[in-house]
Amino acid sequence: MNKLKYFYSPLLALVLLYGCVETNILDKVGLTTLVGYDVGTEKKIAATVVIREVNPEFQSNVEVLTTENDTSKGNRIEANHQLSKKVVVGQMRVVLFGEELAKEGLRYFIDTNLENASVSNGIYMAVVEDRVAPLLEYEYENIEDIGQHIFRLIEQNIEQEYMISSTLHEVARDYYSVGKDVAMPIIKRDKELVKLSGVALFKDGKMVSRLPATDSFYVKIVRDTFKAGLYETILHHEDLPSALQKITTDDMTVAFDAIHSKRKVTLVNAANPEFDLNVKIKARILETYPDINQGDPKSVAALEKAIQNKLAKELEKVIAQSQKVESDIFGFGEIYRGSVRHAQLTKEKWHEMYKDMKVNIHVDFVVLRNGVFE
Amino acid sequence: MKPFNQNQSPTAMNSEAPTENLETIAQAQDHFIQSIKDATNNPDDLIIQSFPPNITLIYIDNLVDDQTLNNNIIADLQNKPNDTPEILMAALSIPEVTVTSLLIKAIEGIINGSVLLHIEGYPQVVIANIASRESRALSTPENESQVIGTQVAFNESLSTNISLIRRYIVSPDLCNEKIKIGRRTNTAVTLLYMNGLASDQMVNTVRQRLASLDLDALIDSAVLAEMIDDNSLSVFPQMLLTERPDRFCDGLLDGKIGVIVDGSSMAIICPQSFTEFFQSQEDQNLRWQIATFVRLLRLAAFFLSVYLTPFYVAALTFHYEVIPQAFLVPLSESRALVPFPPIFEALLLEIIIELLREASARLPTKIGQTIGIVGGIVIGTAAVQAGITSNILLIIIALSALASFTSPSYMMGNVIRLIRFPIIILAGFWGFYGIMLAVCFILVHLLRQSSLGAPYMSPFYPPRLKEMRDSIIRMPIPLTAKRPALTRSKDDYKFDPEPIKPKKS
Amino acid sequence: MKNPLQLNPKDMVNTYLLFFVMHSAQIGVGVQGFQRIVFQDAKHDAWISVLLAGIATHIVTFFMIKTLEIYGANDLYGIQQDIFGKLIGNVLNILYIFYCFMSFFSILRNYIEVIQAWIFPSISAWFLAITLLIIIIYAFTGGLRVIVGVSFFSVVLSLWIIPMLAFPLKFSSINSLLPVLETDFRSILKGAKSMTFTIIGFEILMVIYPFLNDKKHVQKYAHLSLLATTAIYVAVMAVSITYYSNEEIVKTVWATLTLFSFISFPFIERFEFMAVCFWMLIILPNLCLYLWAAYRGAIRLVNIGHTKFVWLFAFFIFLGTLFVQTRIQINAINNQFANIAFYAIFVYPIVLWIIAALKKKITTKKEQKNEQA
Repeated sequence: MNKLKYFYSPLLALVLLYGCVETNILDKVGLTTLVGYDVGTEKKIAATVVIREVNPEFQSNVEVLTTENDTSKGNRIEANHQLSKKVVVGQMRVVLFGEELAKEGLRYFIDTNLENASVSNGIYMAVVEDRVAPLLEYEYENIEDIGQHIFRLIEQNIEQEYMISSTLHEVARDYYSVGKDVAMPIIKRDKELVKLSGVALFKDGKMVSRLPATDSFYVKIVRDTFKAGLYETILHHEDLPSALQKITTDDMTVAFDAIHSKRKVTLVNAANPEFDLNVKIKARILETYPDINQGDPKSVAALEKAIQNKLAKELEKVIAQSQKVESDIFGFGEIYRGSVRHAQLTKEKWHEMYKDMKVNIHVDFVVLRNGVFE
Repeated sequence: MKPFNQNQSPTAMNSEAPTENLETIAQAQDHFIQSIKDATNNPDDLIIQSFPPNITLIYIDNLVDDQTLNNNIIADLQNKPNDTPEILMAALSIPEVTVTSLLIKAIEGIINGSVLLHIEGYPQVVIANIASRESRALSTPENESQVIGTQVAFNESLSTNISLIRRYIVSPDLCNEKIKIGRRTNTAVTLLYMNGLASDQMVNTVRQRLASLDLDALIDSAVLAEMIDDNSLSVFPQMLLTERPDRFCDGLLDGKIGVIVDGSSMAIICPQSFTEFFQSQEDQNLRWQIATFVRLLRLAAFFLSVYLTPFYVAALTFHYEVIPQAFLVPLSESRALVPFPPIFEALLLEIIIELLREASARLPTKIGQTIGIVGGIVIGTAAVQAGITSNILLIIIALSALASFTSPSYMMGNVIRLIRFPIIILAGFWGFYGIMLAVCFILVHLLRQSSLGAPYMSPFYPPRLKEMRDSIIRMPIPLTAKRPALTRSKDDYKFDPEPIKPKKS
Repeated sequence: MKNPLQLNPKDMVNTYLLFFVMHSAQIGVGVQGFQRIVFQDAKHDAWISVLLAGIATHIVTFFMIKTLEIYGANDLYGIQQDIFGKLIGNVLNILYIFYCFMSFFSILRNYIEVIQAWIFPSISAWFLAITLLIIIIYAFTGGLRVIVGVSFFSVVLSLWIIPMLAFPLKFSSINSLLPVLETDFRSILKGAKSMTFTIIGFEILMVIYPFLNDKKHVQKYAHLSLLATTAIYVAVMAVSITYYSNEEIVKTVWATLTLFSFISFPFIERFEFMAVCFWMLIILPNLCLYLWAAYRGAIRLVNIGHTKFVWLFAFFIFLGTLFVQTRIQINAINNQFANIAFYAIFVYPIVLWIIAALKKKITTKKEQKNEQA
């Protein structure tokens, strides 16, 4: 046994010398934090990358490069040719698509990112109004690192539940699911800022339509459980219940904080798909204009009623729009597949059915409390 | 040279006397003196005093207690001349007196600090043991200091140490066996264990291991511990060295076996499991919640100390993906100036820390403090400013050095110090894979070890749930009634395991 | 009954440790990516397939223990020699040793593939093989106690991975599991059969049985460990089905690892990179146990020392890693091996039990006749 032990050490040393691996030393690599893809000339892909480099002056600078090539990897090679450091993608946080490209289809980009082990499944994906390159290349006054900024922007809005979540995992999941379509936030440059401007609706990985950013609230409450988030709406005068109509002659503005929402979708008719959509929202009223007496149960009930009607109406509008472009971003198809045995559902089949689907919307809005001052 | 070795070879002191050297004591005074001088190489401190008419008194000056010699022997002799050895023996007013007719015994006595009294015409000699060994006073434990608990440590005197132990364990069951080790040094080694608690098989094993040692010299117990370890080649110690008598006695009462070496202030306790190296005696004195917290802290410190730097090296060299975004910028900016790869940077800094530690251990205490200043300010700050290390690594290294000091056993602390280096190298070559290789290797290595044949990883492997109550956590004392199975104790329980609740009065 | 084993009481292992041995032998590389194989046939009812496969292991183990109980203290090799005679028995023993070898090899090669795909694309397979083999040899030469210890720590130290399954739950929808039992039963059974590669390992019982000190409780601990394994597999499967969408799961090679992909802590971002390396500890007992099982068989055939055996074994494994390079080859080996393993593990033990039980009946009848006569 002891002889063996002595045998180990030269063996180990030998192995040590041979088994060297390629290194990625942190300060020797250029970290890609954001990639944007556009349609290039002649079927090529134009990629704009935001790369963070560290130089010995204790400053990190951000490089924005645009290259054009046949594949995304080809673009990486080309970016490498222009930089002093090796370009790596392991710290990538956001992938952006130009609107034109999104309309052509994203399948290739979803697959290539899933395939690469060093790309996290938690990266965010979004669509840019018009092209990506100008958005990234613009010299913003107050934004130092555009990659970091866009990541924080999207992350913050998703965490605060202002915007639908669109991580690579969710996008891929929806893309490969037969009964659900992809939805992504849309961003655009607004003077010196970048802002979320809407929600992109996809059909088969191709962008087909868009909703304004304010509608993302409705998409969210139907898509999944909505936990917290501010929402503001205008109740038109003619829609108000009579109890409230007395108070004001004008439209009424309401802002609330949805503490908790629960949606329940049930299939009532399988032949001609018909769903019951029950949405239950528990909320805290933050602001109403003009003021109403919230100590009065009657007026609170009236307010609840008014908001319910308003929400139902808006939901109907949003769903109708998605039906028009055959993009089931809410996942009604999954419910259908889960409820109907041997449905043999395919994407095409479902899109066909989705167009004529009927949804009965019931909103149950409960005011839990208002602030600390009535 | 052979015969001498064989004669003096490690035999128990009071067992079979050497049969070959049966030279008896000469009746004639001159012959006797000459034979003693020959045997001891006539040292200058050999004192020979004659008391006319017929008594000769021989001793080595530096070994005997002068006061006893004057008051109890010389005074007695002057009153009673012309006696036979037996009468003389009875007359001496000191406790340890024997009569022998063998020269070898006489020599042994004189070098151990006895006074030889020879009466002209008798072939026997009286050996009066009035040894006085130079020894320092008892002091507080310096290597294993603790806040709550006894403030006394072993010192270099075997008899003092045993008396300390006998004070903690007042019991006739405390067994004490003396063994001489070292052909040239004849060091007294004492084997201590509790009869009725310690396993006979283990006592035999230790006795056997001690007896079969054929050493030239034995200066310190640490050497002995290494020699009688199950696997001396392992970097992990398998026996505990302690300077605390309370820890030692606690071990004995768990059924363990203790070994004390004369002239060494550290006592050996065995068998010892891996986890017990991370326990301090103070844990017993604290409330269980606090003790558990401290033990978990130490365990965390162990892992932190061993794996934190390799983790840094691996993450920065290969796995930049795992670095959280919040760390990314500070890490890469602090690394930007450093010209070395992370592995080299880490090794450099680790070696600097080790140098500081070694230097402060070797320097006289008075200037030892300067090392702190040199290390902390000069090297730390300057290295970062000069750009040879990053300041984040500096924090990591300092943290892991700090964590390695929390080990209550200095021996285990040294192990932690050392095993970091190969792991850093592995991490620098193969990242997390290298670290995991090291983890698996250490795990297998620990599993292969044993302490006196008992599993080293006990009570975790083989798993014994009841004993885990007092391992990396410490449950309240009523729940820890069981003695560790590691010791294969004859008496399983320390006390009635029923919970003891004081009745409300 | 011939060929009983003479064992030193020092080599005996506590029976409750069988739980850890069998559990750690079952869970290995298979769990990293078994979802796609099962899902291909059983679709969203794949979790039922996993459950069925788990039940099958219980049945097979029951018969294995019955067979072993007939012989008291003997292992598979001895039983085969006794039932089929020296010649055929030894041939079967050689086949079983080869099975252990193949199993060892495919586990090792699959793990190397994972490392290469996730972390170090440029590292050579033989290097990874050598480093792993060194550790396995070191553990093996420590004897059965060390191997069982490795199993124990492998299970205990990996427990923290199970709660990690809660993270993907955030993204999963229970609707994906509906409607239950939509897939026809044949496809579900086919899915259960594809679990073979993932769920085997419990056959180690046939070899370790004589070393257990309390034979009475073997059934209890063996079934407990199978139950734990099945529970983990079903949980992983259910989480995967709800987390991924249908087509996606079929395309994901190592779904369990991808499941961990977006788990992040304040101190570590990409959890799966650690998990991939940590898996070494999970496959370590797998490899050690197969190596040990092969060794137990080898000493029945030839007089060979354990160091000599282990170096030979390691050498052939190493040679194997030099030849098998591509993913296609690895998948081919996996499929072939899974086919063989299905018959060797799920069919053969029951046949063996029938023969052993018949033989016992005949011999006892003979003895009774002899006594009467």
